[in-house]
Amino acid sequence: MGRKKKKQMKPWCWYCNRDFDDEKILIQHQKAKHFKCHICHKKLYTGPGLAIHCMQVHKETIDGVPNAIPGRIDIELEIYGMEGIPEKDMEERRRMLEQKNQETQKKKQNQDDSDEYDDDDEPGPSFQQPAARQPQAGYVPPMTQPGMLPVGSGTPALPPGSYSGIPPMMPGVPPMIPATPPVMPGMPPGMIPMGGMMPPMMPGVPPGIPPPMGTRPAITHMPQLPPAAGVLPRPAVPAGPSVQPDVTKPLFPSAGQSQQTVSGSPHTPPSTTSDLAKPTFPAYTQSSTGLASPNAGSSTVSKPPSTVTSKPATLTTSSATSKLIHPDEDISLEEFRAQLSQYQCSIPRQGQTTSAAASVGGMMAPQQHSMRHPIPGQYGGPQQGMPGYIPGRIPPYIQAPPVVPPVYQGGPPRPTIVTRPPVMSPGGHY
Amino acid sequence: MSLFGTSSGFGTGGTGVFGSTTTDSHNPMKDVEVTSPPDDSISCLAFSPPTMPGNFLIGGSWANDVRCWEVQDNGQTVPKAQQMHTGPVLDACWSDDGSKVFTASCDKTAKMWDLNSNQAIQIAQHDGPIKAIHWIKAPNYSCIMTGSWDKTLKFWDTRSPNPMMSLQMPERCYCADVVYPMAVVATAERGLIVYQLENQPSEFRRIESPLKHQHRCVAIFKDKQNKPTGFALGSIEGRVAIHYINPPNPAKDNFTFKCHRSNGTNTTTPQDIYAVNAIAFHPVHGTLATVGSDGRFSFWDKDARTKLKTSEQLDQPITACCFNHNGNIFAYASSYDWSKGHEYYNPQKKNYIFLRNAAEELKPRNKKW
Repeated sequence: MGRKKKKQMKPWCWYCNRDFDDEKILIQHQKAKHFKCHICHKKLYTGPGLAIHCMQVHKETIDGVPNAIPGRIDIELEIYGMEGIPEKDMEERRRMLEQKNQETQKKKQNQDDSDEYDDDDEPGPSFQQPAARQPQAGYVPPMTQPGMLPVGSGTPALPPGSYSGIPPMMPGVPPMIPATPPVMPGMPPGMIPMGGMMPPMMPGVPPGIPPPMGTRPAITHMPQLPPAAGVLPRPAVPAGPSVQPDVTKPLFPSAGQSQQTVSGSPHTPPSTTSDLAKPTFPAYTQSSTGLASPNAGSSTVSKPPSTVTSKPATLTTSSATSKLIHPDEDISLEEFRAQLSQYQCSIPRQGQTTSAAASVGGMMAPQQHSMRHPIPGQYGGPQQGMPGYIPGRIPPYIQAPPVVPPVYQGGPPRPTIVTRPPVMSPGGHY
Repeated sequence: MSLFGTSSGFGTGGTGVFGSTTTDSHNPMKDVEVTSPPDDSISCLAFSPPTMPGNFLIGGSWANDVRCWEVQDNGQTVPKAQQMHTGPVLDACWSDDGSKVFTASCDKTAKMWDLNSNQAIQIAQHDGPIKAIHWIKAPNYSCIMTGSWDKTLKFWDTRSPNPMMSLQMPERCYCADVVYPMAVVATAERGLIVYQLENQPSEFRRIESPLKHQHRCVAIFKDKQNKPTGFALGSIEGRVAIHYINPPNPAKDNFTFKCHRSNGTNTTTPQDIYAVNAIAFHPVHGTLATVGSDGRFSFWDKDARTKLKTSEQLDQPITACCFNHNGNIFAYASSYDWSKGHEYYNPQKKNYIFLRNAAEELKPRNKKW
C-alpha cells in the first residue's frame, strides 16, 4: 500500500515523535503545533516556511521549531508530514518500533494474566515510545492534545498519569476539526479529560476509580475532539452560565448512603456542535501564545492518587520550553520549608512544661535553645512524629508555652498582647 | 457607608502606606498596606464572617504567630491582638459567629482563640503538622475539621480532647475547603477527595485529578442557588482546574486554564511557570482570584471563561489571599513562599499584606452570576 518507503509504519511526527493514524492528521498537527507563528498564529507549511514568514512579516528570527523535542528543533529541515525525514531518523524509529513490538510480544507470552500490565502496554508505541525515549518535552502536553493520542493509538487504554481520564476518542474521529480562530492554545480541552472523569452516566462507578478506560465508550457525546489541529474549540459555555441548568438536583444524593455517582438528570444535553467557534478564555492568549504545553514535571509526579510513596520523588522542573519555578523535590513548599532547622518547633518535653511556663514572657532564649537541641532532624517532615513527644498523650488543654515569642531569628521581642491561657480540666467549658 | 464599598479616594485614608510616595515594586498596585505585618511569610488570611459587624482580618505566619487587625471603613488597619504557636502557623479560620478564631500549626496542634477574652486553648492534636483547618456548621452539629500531613482528616468538638471522627486519607493533606455540605481535600500525589458533611462527615468520592502536577490550593464555588457545586484546584504548574461535582456535561463543563506564567514570546526562551498559591471566590459575584509565586494576582470569570484582570508584578510571591464577607475587600499577602529554595530567602525583607477594593474589578464579564 502506498509507497514502501513511508508506509511501513504509521505516520509520525519527526518534531515530537508522536504517532498518528493518518498522514493528513499528522500534517494538520504539524501545522498547528510546529509550523504556527507565535505572533500572528498563521499556520505555515514547513519549518523554513515559518522562519521566512517570521522574518518577513514580523522581522523576527526564530531559533527553533516550536514544541519540538530537543534534538529535533532544526528549523532548516524541510519536513512535511512524513516527507523530508532524514533516513537515519527513520531507521531509528523503525528500530524503536521493533524493539517495542518485541517487548510486548515477549511479555504477552510470559504472562498468564495479562490484565494489569498489558492493558497499559497495548496502547501502542505512541504512548510507550516517547515516554521511554525521552523526557517529554512537548510530547505529553498536559491537556492540549488529548485528541491526538487516542487517535494515534486507537485504543481506549491510557497509561496512568499521562492523560488521566481521557475518554477514548473513537478512532476515526475525523479531522472535522472546525477551523476555529487561533484559539488560545492555553485553553485546553480540559473538557475532554474532565469528561472522562465524572461521567454522569456511570452509575455505580465506585469512587476513586483509576482510569476506567474500558467503560468510557459510553461517553459518546464527546464531540469533536480537539483533534489534530490541537486547537481547542472547546465549546466554551455559550453566552453565560447556562451550564448549570435550573434543575436543582441534590449535590449528594442522600447523606447516609454511600457514593452513587449522582446521575440525577442523566439527560446529557446533546452537546451541541454549534458552540464550537467560541474561544475559551480569549483574554488569556497573551500569556500562553505559542506555547502549547509547558509540560514540565510530568515525570515521577504523575501517578494516580492512590499510590503512596514514602521517599520524596523529584519533579522534572524544566523542559525545553518551560521551567517550573519550584524546588526539585516533589513535596509541597511548606514541607520543604518546614524541614529547615530554623522552623523546628520548640515543643518542650513533657517534663519541662512547668519550668517553661514559669519563665513565661521573659527571655526564653536560652531555654528555648536548649530545648531545640534534643529535637534534631525533621520537624516538619511528613513521615515522623516528634521525637520525645508522645502523640495523643498531651494533657488536654494544657498549653505548652505558647506565649514565648519564637526566637529563631534572634530579633527583638515583639509587643505581644498574649495572655497565658487557663489550664482547664477536660470537659470543662471555657 | 463603608469606603470599601465605593471606589473613591481609596489610598487617601490609608495609614498603611508609610509615607512613601514612590511606587517601588513592593506595592505596584498602590493598594493599602496593613500596619504591623508579621515578621515572616504569611501563610493564610481570613476575614471575619458577616455575623460580626465590621471587618476583622486574621493572618497566620511562619513567625509562629497569628495576628488580628481591624479594618476600618476609611481604610485604616488597626492591629488588635496576636496569639502564638510553637511552630509556624499554616492555616486559620473563623467560627460562624465570629467570636472564635481557629489556628493550625506545624507544632501539630490547633488552637481555638476566643477574641473576647484573648485566650487560646488547644483543641486538636495530630501526629504531624496541621495544614488545613475549617469550621463546619451543620444543622445538627458543629465542629472543626483539621487536615494534616499525618494523612488524617480529623473532626473535633472543641470541648473534647479526642476527635469526634478521624478519616484516613491516601496521602498528606495539602489544602482543603469547606462549604457546607461539601468539603474538598487535595493531597500529595495529586489526590483529591470530596466529602459530604450532612449528618456526619463521610467520604463522598475520590476524584481523578484534573491536573498533572502537585496540588497546591483549592476553593469551592457555589451555584446560583448558593449551593456548593464544584471547586477550583490550583497546582504548582501555573494551572487551575474548574471542576463541577455533578455537571450535566463533564466534558464541556470542566476545564483547566493556565495562569501565573511569564510571557514566553520567544519560543526558545523557556517560559517560567509559577505555582498558584491560593484561590479565592468572590462571595457575591462568583468570580475568582488567584495569586501566584510570580508575585501577581489575577481575577477570572469562570463562567465566561475569561480573565478579568492581572496585576502588576510584585517583587515577592503572593502567598495568600481572601475576600471579606461582602466582597468589597480583597486582601493579599506578599512574602516569600520558598519557590526558589533557601537561597532566595531574605529574612530582612519585609512582608506585606495589601487590601484592595474588590467591588468593581470582579464583576462578571457578561451575564450577572
